[in-house]
Amino acid sequence: MASNLPPKPTLEHSTTTSGGLAHEHHERPRGMLRWLLTTNHKEIGTLYLIFSLTMFFIGGIFALVVRAELFQPGLQLVQPEFFNQMTTMHGLIMVFGAVMPAFVGLANWMVPLQVGAPDMALPRLNNFSFWLLPVAFTLLLSTLLMPGGGPNFGWTFYAPLSTTYAPPSTTFFILSLHMAGISSILGAINIIATILNLRAPGMRLMDMPLFVWTWLITAFLLIAVMPILAGVITMMLMDINFGTSFFNAAGGGDPVLFQHLFWFFGHPEVYIMILPAFGIVSAIIPTFARKPLFGYASMVYATASIAILSFLVWAHHMFVVGLPLVAELFFMFTTMLIAVPTGVKVFNWIATLFQGSITFETAMLFALAFVVLFSIGGFSGLMLAIAPADFQYHDTYFVVAHFHYVLVPGAIFAIMAGVYYWLPKWTGHYPDERLGRWHFWMSVIGVNLTFFPMHFSGLAGMPRRIPDYALQFADFNMVSSVGALMFGVSQLLFVWGVIKCVRGGEKAPAKAWEGAEDLEWSVPSPAPLHTFDTPPDFKPVTH
Amino acid sequence: MRKTLAWIMGAGSFLGLASSTLANGWNMPAGVTDVSREIYSLHMTIFWICVVIGIVVFGVMFYSLFRYRRSRGAKSANFHENTSVEVVWTAVPLLILVGMALPATATLKRMYDASEADLDVMVTGQQWRWHYEYLGENVSFTSSLSTPRSQINGEEEKGENYLLDVDQPLVLPVGRKVRFLMTSDDVIHSWWVPDLAVKQDSIPGFVNENWVRIEEPGIYRGQCAELCGKDHAFMPVVVRALEGDEFDSWLAERRKEAEAEASGVDREWSMDELMERGEQVYGAICATCHQPDGSGAEPTFPALAGNEALLNDRDRHIDVVLNGVSGTPMAAFRSNLNPVELAAVITYERNAWGNESGDVVQPSEIQALLEQ
Amino acid sequence: MWEVIKSVLAAFFGVQKERQRQHDFQHGKPGAFIAVGIVMAAVLVMLVAAVAIMAAR
Repeated sequence: MASNLPPKPTLEHSTTTSGGLAHEHHERPRGMLRWLLTTNHKEIGTLYLIFSLTMFFIGGIFALVVRAELFQPGLQLVQPEFFNQMTTMHGLIMVFGAVMPAFVGLANWMVPLQVGAPDMALPRLNNFSFWLLPVAFTLLLSTLLMPGGGPNFGWTFYAPLSTTYAPPSTTFFILSLHMAGISSILGAINIIATILNLRAPGMRLMDMPLFVWTWLITAFLLIAVMPILAGVITMMLMDINFGTSFFNAAGGGDPVLFQHLFWFFGHPEVYIMILPAFGIVSAIIPTFARKPLFGYASMVYATASIAILSFLVWAHHMFVVGLPLVAELFFMFTTMLIAVPTGVKVFNWIATLFQGSITFETAMLFALAFVVLFSIGGFSGLMLAIAPADFQYHDTYFVVAHFHYVLVPGAIFAIMAGVYYWLPKWTGHYPDERLGRWHFWMSVIGVNLTFFPMHFSGLAGMPRRIPDYALQFADFNMVSSVGALMFGVSQLLFVWGVIKCVRGGEKAPAKAWEGAEDLEWSVPSPAPLHTFDTPPDFKPVTH
Repeated sequence: MRKTLAWIMGAGSFLGLASSTLANGWNMPAGVTDVSREIYSLHMTIFWICVVIGIVVFGVMFYSLFRYRRSRGAKSANFHENTSVEVVWTAVPLLILVGMALPATATLKRMYDASEADLDVMVTGQQWRWHYEYLGENVSFTSSLSTPRSQINGEEEKGENYLLDVDQPLVLPVGRKVRFLMTSDDVIHSWWVPDLAVKQDSIPGFVNENWVRIEEPGIYRGQCAELCGKDHAFMPVVVRALEGDEFDSWLAERRKEAEAEASGVDREWSMDELMERGEQVYGAICATCHQPDGSGAEPTFPALAGNEALLNDRDRHIDVVLNGVSGTPMAAFRSNLNPVELAAVITYERNAWGNESGDVVQPSEIQALLEQ
Repeated sequence: MWEVIKSVLAAFFGVQKERQRQHDFQHGKPGAFIAVGIVMAAVLVMLVAAVAIMAAR
């Protein structure tokens, strides 16, 4: 297979701009202090990515505890109390600790490079937003050791299970989520400021790479919805500690209000985790198809419409809470509408492949798997949009299958594709293709073994979030558990591949991929600490 | 080359797997009501639409991956726009969705019409069991898991209906429209029976409506669908559907039992009678949190065995059981249990597991407190 | 004005001719597009709501 890959571009035929020449401004602190005090977007990007990878493994271990218990019917390894803490922590860690910080890390590294900026617009704020995260998640993880255990009410933490009936550690959970939320908001402000103010002269908005565009829109979504999350957890805090009754029916409150607020945050949050993935895939597919992205403008429009519509669909998570008929219809229609721009994106990627000149480097493999498997998640999403049918799908493993398809081979595969794609720029070395292919195929097989059978167990009637199940679901669960172990283990190959690439490997030139066009490929590989001290000479590519 | 083949085979096996969902036990049940069959056909329609779109889209994709490989000498074209193609692939999905929305809307409207019911059943979710009340019939009971703990812990072989068996199923008539009124005493639960296509959240402080007209007698099993705490997996729903006349005689029988129970309030009960009855009630209601041996689960569920506060203050003990403790998971049981059951369980708690208060609480005393 | 509405509609649908877009970018005022965009988004919401209300009858 390796022989099918094209020759890598040679060191000679890429020139670097003057902006790539770094010069040290001042004496820098060394050792730990260097990382603690850094304001450099590349170093902070690296910190974010390492943090995210760590959380990915912690959340993954929790998932494996869940899958191990579900390997067979009956209670074998853990008690239900601990099982619920594992499902909850798995969700919280993966959403807030792994996927979101990974995208922020990629944005830190790549947005300044892609728009030709010397750094993020607000470097000290950048440092602060990163260092909030380790504190927040240490606090969150420490709740597992507190009396009564950690959060056990699911990552959606529906009241009153998460208020009146919650373990005492819930207050710490709220505090940690507040910190993670502040970190996200500050990060989003920084990204918006960078994109709007620091673009290279001559780069108009419609000249920006799609990763930058999707992140710009994502950042606005973050600023719009993270305060709502902050609001809702503050109301929980008041209910728990100060005797209010926002969500307590006995005191005149409304448990359903919690769900409206949560999902008004939660649904845009779903798109926060997928829009940057669209941006990454939109960079990789044209590169390895050696053909400009099809329908650049409609990609931008589709991203914007998805973002706007994401505020109008929240109650499709609540079809069985007893909404009035009109509300059910409204949210069913809007949810169906949001499928259209999503479909357009998939069509655009495929049209980009059509009549290209395609090669299958690891980054491309992950991007292609993203297109297929994300679409499968999209199809089950379309089915879930049909409100009457949702009365049967809701809160079953069918839903679990759906959102894991959009998040694992969706968001996470896109992140991995991005890592393989930009590793030459970060380290100056190409990643090992052989290792990458092993990682890819193990992951693809593992992911499908894990999540595809969940469609069937869900349709057959297995509810979510249960530590034990009826005998007819046994076979599906056994397959899922085996797949999960395989997927988990194969991520060790990823870590090995990344470490190997950092330490050495085939040298990469500035323009590491033959078909790559954006500005990041005009600086040397590895990118020096300071790039674009003088703005680059930007010539728009026709979109 | 091999890679492309693998890709194609991968896609093929997805579709193969997908179509075999038609096999039994892999797919949504069509169920035994008009509504459930309509939902099933909506489900299959949208499923096949997705399959067809998938075949077309992935077909073009894999064709491109195969045909335009660089290793086959493909030279890339440079087009990146085509207004008419883009209009078509935006408009066609829109039209498909409109076509799908029409039948879905019709079904949803039928599901929301709970008017003119022949029978009203109040369904109350409680951690972790269901309470059913036949409104206006003076019949009510609690339904909890009957699968023995030993099967769950693997000390005994698991039975056929493992985790899907209850002590008292909900009994419903065939051919009559039954309206459910759903609520909850503590956290949010969700009452779900796949064969009836009824899934409705039961929410504290709210009353939700749903309805069913079962067409075939039989036993239909389901589970709580909304995470409700530690025993969420262990609160199944079992519905036994009887022919109309069988149902009527069942209901008359239950009504008679209820009247007999009510008359027991006035008489004097002996300690042994109360202890025996109290043990049953405790096992069905209290033991999930406070544990069968009264040891509780600190810090959320206090121990009852050897609990000084409980032993020293009889009035407060009665108050807690009747009215609950606000801000904690301890629910108020004044309307869920009858005076006999309340008196028995309180007596039991004050005299079991080495709690030797010697106190007897009579049903008449509870009755008087309830009437205040 | 009609030009602006047409362009915003095209953006909602997601398809626009490159020539027309270049024209808009060179001659249109961004404020006008943003204002029309917000109004049209509100109209879209009301439209869907109206359909839902009618369908629920």
